[in-house]
Amino acid sequence: MSLRRILVIAGGLLILFLGMYSWNQSTRTLDDLSTDVGLEAAGAVLGPVRAAQDVLGGLWTRYVDLVAVREENEALKAQVTELETRLLANSEDLAELRRLRILLQVPVDNNWRPLGARVLCGQIGPNAVLDTITINRGYATGGRPGTPLLTNKGLIGRVLRASAHSASVLLMTDPGSRIAIYTQDSRAMGILHGNGAKRPLTVDFVPRDAGVRCGELLVTSGLDGFYPKGLPAARVVSVEPSNYSEFLAITAEPLVDLQHLEEVLLFEKTGQAPEVEENTASPSQFVGPPKPGKKSKK
Amino acid sequence: MRGIGNVCFWLAFTAVGLVCEMLIPRIDALICGFILLLQERNYRTLCWLLPLFVLLQEGLGSRTFGGSIVWYAVIFLLFRIGERFFNSGTFIFVFFLSAAFGAASYGLNVLMAPLQDLEIDVQQLIDSSLAQAIFLPLSWCVIKYLRLCLPAVFQPDPAKVENLHKSNA
Repeated sequence: MSLRRILVIAGGLLILFLGMYSWNQSTRTLDDLSTDVGLEAAGAVLGPVRAAQDVLGGLWTRYVDLVAVREENEALKAQVTELETRLLANSEDLAELRRLRILLQVPVDNNWRPLGARVLCGQIGPNAVLDTITINRGYATGGRPGTPLLTNKGLIGRVLRASAHSASVLLMTDPGSRIAIYTQDSRAMGILHGNGAKRPLTVDFVPRDAGVRCGELLVTSGLDGFYPKGLPAARVVSVEPSNYSEFLAITAEPLVDLQHLEEVLLFEKTGQAPEVEENTASPSQFVGPPKPGKKSKK
Repeated sequence: MRGIGNVCFWLAFTAVGLVCEMLIPRIDALICGFILLLQERNYRTLCWLLPLFVLLQEGLGSRTFGGSIVWYAVIFLLFRIGERFFNSGTFIFVFFLSAAFGAASYGLNVLMAPLQDLEIDVQQLIDSSLAQAIFLPLSWCVIKYLRLCLPAVFQPDPAKVENLHKSNA
C-alpha cells in the first residue's frame, strides 16, 4: 500500500471519528448507550463479586478474628450510655425547635428521601479519568444523575452517570466538583471545590472579613440546587488572606474517608413541595404596641 | 459445540477482566483478550467482542464516548507494526508491545483530555500507564496457557492454529 493511500485512509478515519465525536457531544446518544450497557453489565458482574467478598470478609471478622472483642464491646457500651445521656439532654432542645418552627411557620425541608446503596468499586477501566466510585443504584432505583450522596459522617458527592441499576458518583475531591457552602459558625458563603484524590479541598470567594476559623464545619447552603441545605461537607484546615485576590485562601478536608467507602446514603428528591403547617388558632393574647386612639389616663 | 464453548470462554474472560479492573484501578484488563484474538486471527469473535469491550469501557469510564475506539485502534496499529519485526506469538513481542501500550496510554490521555476540558493528574497517569504496561504480559501468559489447559471446546480451532503456525514460520 502506498504512503499516499495510507494517509488518505487515515485522514478519512480521523474525519469520521471527529464527526462521530461532535455528533455525540451534541446528542449524547452514544454516551447514553454505553452507560446503559457498560454500567449495567458491570453492575451485574461486580454486584455478586462484591457480595461474595462481603460474605467471606464477614466470615473472617465475625467468626474467626475475635481478638479484643470483649474490650471493644465494653467501650461501645460506655459510648452508648454517654450518647443516650446526650440524647436525653438534647430532646428538650429538639422539642423547642419544633415548637418554634411551627410558631414561625418555617417550612421543614422534607422533600428529600434517604436511600441506602452499596459501593461496588472505585475508579474502573482506562476511561475513569475523574475521581469516581460506582454504586449499585441507578435511575430506576433512586440514583438519578445529580442525586447527592453522603454517609453518617458527611457529604461524599453526587451521581454523575446512571444506568438502570448502577451509577457512577463524582466525589467532592474531583477537580470538577463545585459545592455551594457556608461556614457553620460565621455563616460565610463560598464555593467548595476539589483538587484531586488525597489532596485538600479549597473554598473560594469567602470575604476577608468573614471571621472563618480553623476547625469550623462547612455545610451545604442548598443554593446550587444539587444538595439540600445543611449537609456537613468538610472541615476548615487552614485560613489565610489570599496573595492574589480580595478573598480568603481557605483549605478544608472532607469529613468522610473517601478512599474506603462501603455503604452510602442517597438523598433522592421526592418532588413534593415542603409542607407548611398552618397555625389557624388565633393568638390568645395580643402582644405589641397599644392600639391607636387610646390615651393612657394618669 | 466449539462455537458455544468459544462464546462462553470469552464471556467468562470479560467477567474476570471486569473483576481485575475493579481490583487494579484505571487499567484495561480486556486488552490481553484483544491481543490474543489478533494473534489467533479470530476476526469473527473480534467482530462481536470488540464492540462489547468498547461499550463496557466507555460505560464504566467518565469520559465522553470515543476514547476507547481510538485506544483499540492504536493497539491494532501497534500490533500490525510490531508484527513486521517480531513473531507475534512470542512473549518478547508481547513484552515490547506492552511497553508501547504504556506510552500510548499516556499519550492518548494527554491528547483526549483537552477535548473534554479535563485537568490531568500527571502522577496518576504515569502510575496507571506503568500498571498497564506491567499487567499485559502477565495476563497474556495466564490467559494463553489457561486456554490450552481447558477442555477442547474452549480452545481455538486447531486447523486455524496450524495455519497460523505455518504462516508465522
